[in-house]
Amino acid sequence: MSDYALLGNPNTGKTSLFNMLTRSYETVGNWSGVTVEKRIGTLRGKAGRIVDLPGLYSLLPLTEDEGVAARFLMEEADGPILNIVDASQLERNLYLTMQLLEYGKPVMIGLNMVDVARARGIDVDAQALRRELGVPVVPIVARKGTGCSEVLRGLGELGRAPASFRLDYGPALEAAAADIAGMVGAAAAAGATSKADPRWTALQLLEGNPAVRSALPQTADLAAIDERIRRAAPELERETGGADSAAHIRQVRRQRIAEICGAVVDRSAQHDHTATERIDSIVTHRLLGIPLFLALMYLIFKLTFDWLGSVLSDVLDGFISGPLSQWISYALTSLGAAPFTQALVVDGIVGGVGGVLVFLPQIFILFLLISFIEDSGYMSRITLLMDRTMEAVGLSGKAFIPFIIGFGCNVPAIMAARTMEQRKDRLLTTLLVPLMSCSARLPVYALFAGVFFVSNRASVVMGLYVLGMVLALALAKLFSRTLLKSEPSVFVVELPPYRMPQLLSLLRMTWEKVKGFLRKAGTIILAGSVVIWFLSNTGPGGFGVDMNDSFLAYIGGALSTLLIPLGFGTWQAGAALITGFMAKEIVVSTMNIIYQAPDMAGLEHQVALAFTPLQAFSFVVFILLYIPCLATVGVIRKETSSWRWTFFSMGYSLALAYLVSLLLYQGGHLLGFV
Amino acid sequence: MRKSTEFQTAAVLADIRPGGAAVVTALHRIDPLLRRRLNDLGVAEGSRLTVRRFGPFGGPLTFECAGQLVGIRRFEASRLEVART
Ligand SMILES: Nc1nc2c(ncn2[C@@H]2O[C@H](COP(=O)(O)OP(=O)(O)O)[C@@H](O)[C@H]2O)c(=O)[nH]1
Repeated sequence: MSDYALLGNPNTGKTSLFNMLTRSYETVGNWSGVTVEKRIGTLRGKAGRIVDLPGLYSLLPLTEDEGVAARFLMEEADGPILNIVDASQLERNLYLTMQLLEYGKPVMIGLNMVDVARARGIDVDAQALRRELGVPVVPIVARKGTGCSEVLRGLGELGRAPASFRLDYGPALEAAAADIAGMVGAAAAAGATSKADPRWTALQLLEGNPAVRSALPQTADLAAIDERIRRAAPELERETGGADSAAHIRQVRRQRIAEICGAVVDRSAQHDHTATERIDSIVTHRLLGIPLFLALMYLIFKLTFDWLGSVLSDVLDGFISGPLSQWISYALTSLGAAPFTQALVVDGIVGGVGGVLVFLPQIFILFLLISFIEDSGYMSRITLLMDRTMEAVGLSGKAFIPFIIGFGCNVPAIMAARTMEQRKDRLLTTLLVPLMSCSARLPVYALFAGVFFVSNRASVVMGLYVLGMVLALALAKLFSRTLLKSEPSVFVVELPPYRMPQLLSLLRMTWEKVKGFLRKAGTIILAGSVVIWFLSNTGPGGFGVDMNDSFLAYIGGALSTLLIPLGFGTWQAGAALITGFMAKEIVVSTMNIIYQAPDMAGLEHQVALAFTPLQAFSFVVFILLYIPCLATVGVIRKETSSWRWTFFSMGYSLALAYLVSLLLYQGGHLLGFV
Repeated sequence: MRKSTEFQTAAVLADIRPGGAAVVTALHRIDPLLRRRLNDLGVAEGSRLTVRRFGPFGGPLTFECAGQLVGIRRFEASRLEVART
C-alpha cells in the first residue's frame, strides 16, 4: 500500500483521471484550477490511495492553491508521483515534470489528451519520451478511461527506485546545490523529518521558493543557507554573465525541454483548433460577446424557472403534498401513533422538509446548466468578456468565476476564489460572493414570484440576481477604494479549447452538488423544521397554545418592530429571517409550518394574504442580501482566517439589506405602489 | 547590422493587429506576478505569439502561443516588447 500523489498543470484532465482511477466522483471543470483542495481516494483494486492536489504550472507557488502542492511535497509526500501531462501542450507541461523528476521519488507519467493531440495533428512518441525521461510513460484519454487500467498496473509495478533523471545546472549552481543539500541533509539527520530529497530542496531554495523555505525543518540553519544562496550569484555571474539563479535554472530546464520535445513531438501535420477559433470568433466578438452572455444567462433563468423547472416542481409538489402525505398519515394512524406524533411528522417534517424538497427540480436544472458552462470551456471566456467591467471596480475578470459558481452555492464559490493570483482579489471576492444569489434562496423567490409576479416570473427572479451582482460590483468599488487599497489588479487567463461536455460527467457533477442539497434537507432543514414546529406549538402557556402566543411568535415579534419600516413587520417574517440564517431554504420551511399550509397552493394563498406585492418584494430583496448562511460564514472564516473579516461580511450585508429594502419599500410607497 | 533591423520592427504586443505574429523580446516591464504566470504558460523571451483578437471596450487581448490561447489586459500587452515577424 502506498499513497500516490497526483500532480499536473491545471486543466490537463487531472480530476477526470482521479475519477477514473478511484470510483469516487469529484467535480470536473474545464477552467484552470477546479481542484481547490487536496482530495484522497482509494484506487480501484485497493492498491493504495491517491492524493489529488491542486493543478499547478511549477512548484514555485503563485496562488494559495499552488502553495498547497509545494507544502505537500515538503511535509507529507512519501510515495510515488503520478504526473499527468497534456500531450497537446507537452512543452509547457514538462516544466513541472522536470521539477517532479528531481524530487527523488519514483515517477510515472500519464500522457493525457492524446486524442486531442491526434486531432490537431500533433504526434507524441510515448516510447521516445520514456527514453528521454527514464520513467514509465502511459498514453491515456482520461475522459474516456482509455489507458487507465495500464496506469493502475504501472503504478503497481513502479517499485521504490527514484527517478534517475538529472539536469546539470553548471559548476557554480551545482556546487551551491551540493553545499545546501548538505546543510539540509544534516538538519534532517539531526532528527527533523523532511520528506524531500536534499538536492531537490536545495534547487528549490536557489530558485527562491518561499513555500519550500518556510517548510524547512526547524533544525535547519537558515542563515547559513541564505548566505550560501547569496554567494552563488557572483559565482554564477563569472560563469555565465548573468547573476540570477532562478532565471538560470529556468533556462537550463527550458533548454532541456526543447531538446526533449524536438525528439518526441512531431508537429509537422499540426493545424489550429479550428472549431475553438470559430466559436470564439462569435462568443468573444467585440460587439456580440456580452449580449450573447446575457442572453445565455436569461435562457438559464427561463429554463430553471419557467419552461422546465417550475413544471417539474409542480409535479413533485403534487406528489409530496398528495399521495406521500396521505400514505404517511395512513401509516401513522394504522401504527397507532399519537396525534402529537402525527402532527409533528405531517405538519413539521413533511411541511418543513417537503416544502423545500419540491424545489429539487429547479435546483437540479440550475446546477446542471452551471456545470455545463464550467465544463465546456466557456467560463474562461466569460472572464475575458467581463474583465473590463471588473477592472473598473478594482477586481480581476477572474473573480467572475466564483461569482457564477456562487449562483449554485456560495461555499464552493468562495473556495474557487483561491485560484486568483492576488490576495486583495481573493479577499474582496470572498467577501462579495454571498451577494450572489445561491440556489438556497431560489425556493424563496420561486414561492413569492409564484404568488405576486406570475406573469413575469423569470424576469423578476433574474432582476434579483442582477441586483445582487450590481451591488457586489458597487461594493467592490467601494471596498477597493477604502478598505483594501493596494496595487491594481492583474489579469491573465488561459483559454482552454472548447470541449463538448459529456452527459455522464455532467450528471455526475450535478449529482455531487444536488447531493449536498439533499444532505442539507435531511439534516439541518429537518432539524430546523422540528425545532420550529416545537417553538410554534409551545409557549409560556405550555404545549398546544395558539400559534400567536407561541415562543416563535415572541422571538419573531421581538425583531418585528425593527422590520416595520421595511414593510414586513410581522412576527412570522421575523421568525423566518432568524431561522433562515441556518440555511436560506428554512425560510420556506418556517412559512410552511407557521401558515400550516397543506401544499404549495395553500401556502401561496396564505402568503398572498399576509403580504402586499411591494412588501413581498422588499422581503425577497432582504432575503437576497441579509446574511451569508451558516455554512458560508464557516468557509469565510476558514479562507480569511480572520474573525474580523468574517464579522465584517455579516455586518455589511445586514446593513446593506436593511438600507436597500428600506429604500425600495419607502420609495415604492411614495410612488404609489402597494 | 542585425541590430538595426530589429529596431525597425520593435513594437509592443498591443500594436500587433489581430492575425499578426511577433516574437517576444522583453518581458521586464511587465508586472512581476504576471510575468511569472506568463512564464508558466510558456511565454518567454523568444516565444512566437499570434494575436487573435481584442476584447470589447478596450477589454483584454487574446493571443496564441504554442497552440495555447492566453488573455491579458491591453495595458500589460503594451508593456510586452516584441519584434514583428
Ligand atoms: N478530449 C479529451 N478531453 C479530456 C481528456 N481528459 C480530460 N478532458 C476534459 O478536459 C477538461 C478538464 O478536465 P479536468 O479533469 O477537470 O482537468 P483538471 O483541471 O486538470 O482537473 C474536462 O472538460 C474534461 O472532460 C482527454 O483525455 N481527452
